Amino acid sequence: MKKSIALLLVFLHLFLAMPAAAVTNSRPREIPEPYDLVAENTDFQLYVNPESLAFKLLDKRNGYIWSSSLDEKMEGDRLNRTWTAFASSGFSIDYLDTQANTQRLSITNSEHTMEIRTIENGIQAQVTFTEVAISVGLRLQLEQEGVRVEVPFDTLRQDGKFRLEMLYLYPWMGATRGGQTPGYMFLPDGSGSLIEFAEETKAENMFFGRYYGADLGMLETLPFSYTTRRPYQISMPVLGMVHGEVQNAYLAVIEKGASYAEIQAHPSGVITNFNFLYNAFLYNESYFQRTNRAGDGVTVIQSETNHFDILLHYRFLEGEQADYVGMARSYQAYLVGKGMLSRQEPAGAEAIGIRLEFLGAEQEKIFFWRRTIPMTTIAQMKAVLDALQVSNPQVIFYGWQPGGASSMPPDRIKLDRGLGNLTELEALIAEIAARGGTFNLYYDPLAAFRNDPASYSRHDLAMAITNAYIRSYQRGQPTYLFNPATIGQHLATFSQSVQGRLNAGLALDEIGSMLYADFRRGRQLNREQTISIYQSLLAQSGTPLGMYAPNDYLFAYTSAYYDIPLSDSGYTYTNASVPFLQIVLSGHIPYYGEALNFSANVETDLLKHAEYGMYPSFFVTYEGTARILNTDSNWIYVSSYQQLGGEINAGYAWLDALLGHVRGASIVAHARVADDVFATTYENGWQIIVNYRDTPVSVQGVTIPGRDAISRGALP
Amino acid sequence: MKRLVRTLSLLALLISLAPAQKIGARTPYTTWALGPGWYFFLTQDAYTPLTEIDLSISGPEDFFFTPDGTLYVADTGNGRILRLGRDYAVQASYGEGVLDSPTGLYIDQDGTMYIADAGSDTIVILDRLGNLVSRFGRPSELLFGVDNEFLPRKIAVDARRNLYIVSEGSTNGLVVMNTDGHFIGYFGANPANMSLKMILQRMFLNEEQLAQFIKNEAASPSNVTIDFEAMIFSVTAGTTPENSIRRYTVAGRNVFPMTAGSGSFRDVHVSENGLVTAVDADGEIFEYDLLGMPLFLFGAKDQGDQRLGALRNPTAVERYQNRIYVLDKDKNAIVIYQSTHFADLVHDGVRLYMKGYYLEARPYFEEVLRYNGSFIMAYKAIADAYFKAGDYQNALVNYRYAEDRHGYSEAYWELRNAVLQRDLAGGILALAGLFVIQGLWKRFDRRHGWTNPLKTWFVGLSRRKWVDDLLFLFSFIKHPTDGYYYIKKKQRGSLGFALLIYLWVVIVRVSSLYLTGFIFNRYANFSQIRAENEIAYILLFLFLWNVANYLVSTISDGEGRVRDVVIGTAYSLFPYALFALPLVLLSNLLSMNEKLLFTFSFNVIWAWTGLMFFLMVKEIHNYSFGETVRNVFMTIFTIAIMLLTGYILYVLFFQLFDFIGALFREVQLRG
Repeated sequence: MKKSIALLLVFLHLFLAMPAAAVTNSRPREIPEPYDLVAENTDFQLYVNPESLAFKLLDKRNGYIWSSSLDEKMEGDRLNRTWTAFASSGFSIDYLDTQANTQRLSITNSEHTMEIRTIENGIQAQVTFTEVAISVGLRLQLEQEGVRVEVPFDTLRQDGKFRLEMLYLYPWMGATRGGQTPGYMFLPDGSGSLIEFAEETKAENMFFGRYYGADLGMLETLPFSYTTRRPYQISMPVLGMVHGEVQNAYLAVIEKGASYAEIQAHPSGVITNFNFLYNAFLYNESYFQRTNRAGDGVTVIQSETNHFDILLHYRFLEGEQADYVGMARSYQAYLVGKGMLSRQEPAGAEAIGIRLEFLGAEQEKIFFWRRTIPMTTIAQMKAVLDALQVSNPQVIFYGWQPGGASSMPPDRIKLDRGLGNLTELEALIAEIAARGGTFNLYYDPLAAFRNDPASYSRHDLAMAITNAYIRSYQRGQPTYLFNPATIGQHLATFSQSVQGRLNAGLALDEIGSMLYADFRRGRQLNREQTISIYQSLLAQSGTPLGMYAPNDYLFAYTSAYYDIPLSDSGYTYTNASVPFLQIVLSGHIPYYGEALNFSANVETDLLKHAEYGMYPSFFVTYEGTARILNTDSNWIYVSSYQQLGGEINAGYAWLDALLGHVRGASIVAHARVADDVFATTYENGWQIIVNYRDTPVSVQGVTIPGRDAISRGALP
Repeated sequence: MKRLVRTLSLLALLISLAPAQKIGARTPYTTWALGPGWYFFLTQDAYTPLTEIDLSISGPEDFFFTPDGTLYVADTGNGRILRLGRDYAVQASYGEGVLDSPTGLYIDQDGTMYIADAGSDTIVILDRLGNLVSRFGRPSELLFGVDNEFLPRKIAVDARRNLYIVSEGSTNGLVVMNTDGHFIGYFGANPANMSLKMILQRMFLNEEQLAQFIKNEAASPSNVTIDFEAMIFSVTAGTTPENSIRRYTVAGRNVFPMTAGSGSFRDVHVSENGLVTAVDADGEIFEYDLLGMPLFLFGAKDQGDQRLGALRNPTAVERYQNRIYVLDKDKNAIVIYQSTHFADLVHDGVRLYMKGYYLEARPYFEEVLRYNGSFIMAYKAIADAYFKAGDYQNALVNYRYAEDRHGYSEAYWELRNAVLQRDLAGGILALAGLFVIQGLWKRFDRRHGWTNPLKTWFVGLSRRKWVDDLLFLFSFIKHPTDGYYYIKKKQRGSLGFALLIYLWVVIVRVSSLYLTGFIFNRYANFSQIRAENEIAYILLFLFLWNVANYLVSTISDGEGRVRDVVIGTAYSLFPYALFALPLVLLSNLLSMNEKLLFTFSFNVIWAWTGLMFFLMVKEIHNYSFGETVRNVFMTIFTIAIMLLTGYILYVLFFQLFDFIGALFREVQLRG
């Protein structure tokens, strides 16, 4: 009896084990032993190495295998022990000792305990580094588009005297050696930037950038330099890699925790022989606390660890989608799926838009007081708009407040006396609407002008961790920054006042791009919390909101994107700039470039506008700029309508002839078809081909004149 | 099809050697141009970075473009000269084994290479093919100087084969030699600068103590170049930034004006179209026209982020066609900048303007103003064009924008001349007529007494105190001594009116800042005037004078009381109070030709006022001449002491508050 039961059990086990065996039998040869299959869906198979938490993903659509970490070191890799461990572990940490010195630990080279268990579609692991008593929990799961990695904050423990500084997640994801694999890394720099895989690189250090810009809550201020211009701020928490164009690619998107993350990219030749890029998350930092005015102080570690969860998605693409265009469309689909981006039907006339930012008034110091100089009154604005031959003008009124652009705006809509009255403005708004355009009031809810301290109280300001008020600069004005509560108050009151009186929208500056933690005692807010506050704040707004270069978390509330980057920040070791950001926004939010007043080569910049589907922008005043040379707005060094009118009309007409066909359509393809000739294709079949050369060029059966562009309809 | 296109594009990307210029990429630097008030204002980019050419060289210190576009690079670390073709590929290498560390390079029209070799402190001359022609070191001529060292670092050669050599540390200027190695002379020494501190040191310290200080020697030039008119240019690091670039005549005199510059220039280049380009150690590139007017200033130091166009350690600059080339020693690369359409307009305009074709240059500059409305040079050039064409009204307006007082004066003179020519005859007739009428009136009045009621009313009015005080002011013009006597005796003059005079003086002073004609006004626009400062200065001076004078007088047997001193000082200001404002208003009608009239008149006013002060002290306190002199000096000294004490107190209190504040903050932080 016992024997037969035993035999039955054995048979049952075999029976049950067979499917497992079947799976193990069909494991591809390239996936070495330690990896176990933990999840599978229609497109992917996920294998995890329980010792190092590395994973491998088999893309069932074409059989390609992605590796998250290094399995075996080879000759010429230039990896020492620390780097080898860094490369082969699922994640690594940097920790701070009491002296604020940093040390790195990876899973494979340090003493640790690991509790790992299988969960639905993946695994959950808790790794405790015993030497430093720091524990990190990781959840790795397969999802429809690829893999998701989570590190919830409540799984973190810092029980010893060491503090967790940084967490590096899957740094070796998709890493390639030298120039062996054709392809490139994608950096979200400016509009988008590519570093090709190559044996050597011009880079001497890694590329790094903090998503959403530096945290002024920690730094207190960023030094102001007259001669240097900062690189573009990174506004999308994405990075990616292409292994063979139109073959395989992945895009990493951070859903939670982006505000405390950094992108770090190493082309081959920077320290190691590998091309790799990854996200690093910042939990604790040391900072310099000044103790007296002379500048003496101490270096201390922040008292509270940054409280945020990490949720990172790896989206895997193959075939036609495996290039930067596919990556951009994948990100677009992600945003739409999360409700962070929605399609706006283009309104107004059948023409492209144009952003016209008018300077209303400014102040200059004369004798003892400040005299307000009206640069564009309402009547003058009307005259200019009537004279210009443009449709769909996106009119922004800057410096409308009493005292002009250098005074703090009031909480209610109130125009400077020299500019006109609200009735005139209402009439003008109606006229603008008739031409298909919108009228917006410029409003910066974050800036507290240091030169106008009577307009706010110290309790309204945001404080840095060093106990000093955060200082910044905005459009020629030195400013403090308001804390989120005050921002909410001001914005709510103001937008209500505007809504009640005018049919106008708001052009919001800084709230989209500036993100800082507030360290006021008892009311501390970190960057992640501030994002939620901003989002709920803007969700309540009833008026359409245009925003200046907003970060991705505010795309849902943006009706127009201003100051979109024309290109990237010009690093010498990147190989090409690509319109990633433009492709993401195309068909969903209209995007306007930086004001062409400040362009040195207007013709070339207009060609770029045509290539990327951007609408033009201009600063306009009625009076000549000589009048504001002694004011704080002297950075607008040319703007008078007399000087610019012809250029505006010509530029608009030329661009409208090309982009008018693709209003509201999203970009589906973009490529370089010849040297200095680029073609952009839209979903409705129209294609715009731009020729930057001086001489005409013939491409795909059409001739494009030099320094010009053509548009053609659906191809057969 | 799309796939093929995509693979082709990727292939094309892979083939690129140097980082391609990304169209529209954000430049890492800002560009500045000269605007009103001689401040620099932001402007559009004049140059955009084109590319960076990496070369397999080590620590290069110099390079040279020949007119046909061939580039020679002095590869200092590897002891050779490289010749590069148009595509920057190495065509030839010269001087290996012969050169040690070449730091200066010049190629003449035959292709002969003149090299300053710092490693061996010699000048090496190679022919076109790289063969050694000659080599020589320190000149043996006595004229060179027995103690002077020969450390050749940079070299330039003129058409007559004279070598101009920068010798490191040479205080006598450039070393001029010929191709045989003979010393011809020194050229273009920099002046040594004296400062007040040094003068005082020399007065008070003895020989031994003076020997402790670093010798005040002239800074030695850092680099040299020759322009298309065979004039020598040099740059000197470590000297005042405004004087760093020098342009020498044949006689060795510097004709380059004082202009915005840098104290750390590394190299200068003058192009055929008259543009002077200089680069300094911070990576800033300055561009001037041949007359020293700054056109553009841009550049940024590479902080390690490696953006295209940022410089780390520039050692040489050249301009070829419409590009600027900068040699970077730390990057071992050449960074190339391309001029923008905006800069091309400026350069074309400047070129025509320099040659005197003002009218042809005007359309260029008008378009420049469409790019940047504060580009001050454009206004000057347009004003000159209008002036040349005879349109003085427009010239006047533009000279005003350009803040060019000389030009404004010329245009104003022409306009005034036209008015005078038209109306002077009539004006003189009218004046003569008035004269006659006045004479007639007087005669009739004497006979009939028409104005008698007016006169009685006037006499009655003058009995009022304040009117009497006012009239008393006028009596000072002829009888100042009597005036002071009356003040002492309390017969005329009142304290209230004295304060009124002070107020009036302040008003006159402040309004003269605003009302002086542009030609004579120190300030070109009103926002530069700090009215509150002026008021504070005057009031402070008057207050201190009164207090100091009274204090000094009391302890030296002066008879004047406080009241006397205050009223006396007030009335002593009458030359200024009465005549300054009319003069200031008159200045609006004068041109630069009448400058002497204006300045002389003002000097008379100041001198008169000073004399009145002196007289006041003498009469009010009843001193002799010698005692008055002594009293005045003591008063001035006392004022100085009071100011010094005030300053010291201010500093001390500031320190005290700062200390308390810091203490409080530290307690707050650590507690």
